[in-house]
Amino acid sequence: MFKEVLEVFKLNYKLEWRKRQSFLSVLLYVLTCTYLAFLVNNQKITPETWNALYWIILIFAAIQAAFRSFQNEADRRFLLYFGMIKPRVLMLGKTLYNFFYLFVIGLFSLLVFSFLLGNVVNDIGAFILLLFVASAGFSAILTFVAGIAAKTGDNPALPAILSIPLLYPQILAVSRTSVRAITGFSWEVNAPMLLVLFLLSLVSLLLSYLLFAYLWRD
Amino acid sequence: MIKHWWKALGVVLVLYTIIFGFLGEVPRQPILNETIRNTYFHVTMWFGMIILMVASLVYSIKYLRTEESRSDLKAKELAISGFFLASLGLVTGSIWARFTWGAFWVNDAKLNGTAVTILIYLAYFVLRGSVDDPQKKARIAAVYNIFAFVMMFVFIGILPRMTDSLHPGNGGNPAFGAYDMDNKMRMVFYPAVVGWTLIAVWITDIKIRFHRLQKNNNEKYS
Repeated sequence: MFKEVLEVFKLNYKLEWRKRQSFLSVLLYVLTCTYLAFLVNNQKITPETWNALYWIILIFAAIQAAFRSFQNEADRRFLLYFGMIKPRVLMLGKTLYNFFYLFVIGLFSLLVFSFLLGNVVNDIGAFILLLFVASAGFSAILTFVAGIAAKTGDNPALPAILSIPLLYPQILAVSRTSVRAITGFSWEVNAPMLLVLFLLSLVSLLLSYLLFAYLWRD
Repeated sequence: MIKHWWKALGVVLVLYTIIFGFLGEVPRQPILNETIRNTYFHVTMWFGMIILMVASLVYSIKYLRTEESRSDLKAKELAISGFFLASLGLVTGSIWARFTWGAFWVNDAKLNGTAVTILIYLAYFVLRGSVDDPQKKARIAAVYNIFAFVMMFVFIGILPRMTDSLHPGNGGNPAFGAYDMDNKMRMVFYPAVVGWTLIAVWITDIKIRFHRLQKNNNEKYS
């Protein structure tokens, strides 16, 4: 099964590489939004505002990115998937792929933010670790919701409406913790919060793993 | 008549809540003063909402196991009634907050939980509205309902305990049972929870029967 998951991951990677402009468009999305934040905020930015803007822009970019992972698939390829692999394998492969995707977007946003809005992050290692854990949870939920949205026809607002409320617990936990990574991070104080984040990601992954099979039956 | 005893019980309990909620003895607390009576309405409606949402969850799981459209209808109607109780709880809570904390809405873990609950279930209704095929709709809605319930539970049940809250029972405050409820208040509080739940279930029941009749009617004349 692990091999199959990796195959799905590789397939998605190849498809993405063939259509580079869609990946670049997400990066451009981050860039334009960050510049927008820079324009709106013409004074010196506080760490709290920096943090809030970072996560908001990242969430919207992540929704754009993850939603495409099902939207881009042609209808006939779904038939191929049905015949070839189990739905759970498909879900795990896509989640893995989205996880890397989101992590890269997050790192890119961090770079752009540091460049445009000032390099305020104090403990960069902690921040990247948080980003890593958050990407895992986000990708589980977003892949799941993208699967739902792909089944509902085109309502352009639906992915955001469906996924953002589900992401609230994680966004809240991660943004509260990451603001400490900006101002000064203590591992002892934040260990419980990291554990909560990790468990949240695990619960999301487990839920979408269990429920995806039902979603995918047609 | 025997089948309908619970409806009568619901009416009696709600009447009891209203009468004793407004006339009964309550402890004198600073800041809260007489607004403590809102416990009988605001808090109990939230308890009722949780009970209805759990029932909705159970029917969603049942739907996925059996694929009976009855379960889907029940899950949907229970969610709507739960949402109705949540809205009432939100309004009463907002008014209460205005008189005790000074604003209709404050940044507090429990209030964020309310917002999440409302938004999640609104999304659930929008999702139901955007799929046409009834079986597909039922399945997708059931799946989303389960996921949404777990996330809501994490948000209102676990995260508030990690952060400070203005609500009693979280963030170092003593639990509200020990805080401001004496035995006299409990005598109204728990019956009120049961009363609101029964009334909401009754509303749900009527709506489910209405939908079934409508469906039968459509089949007969089309």
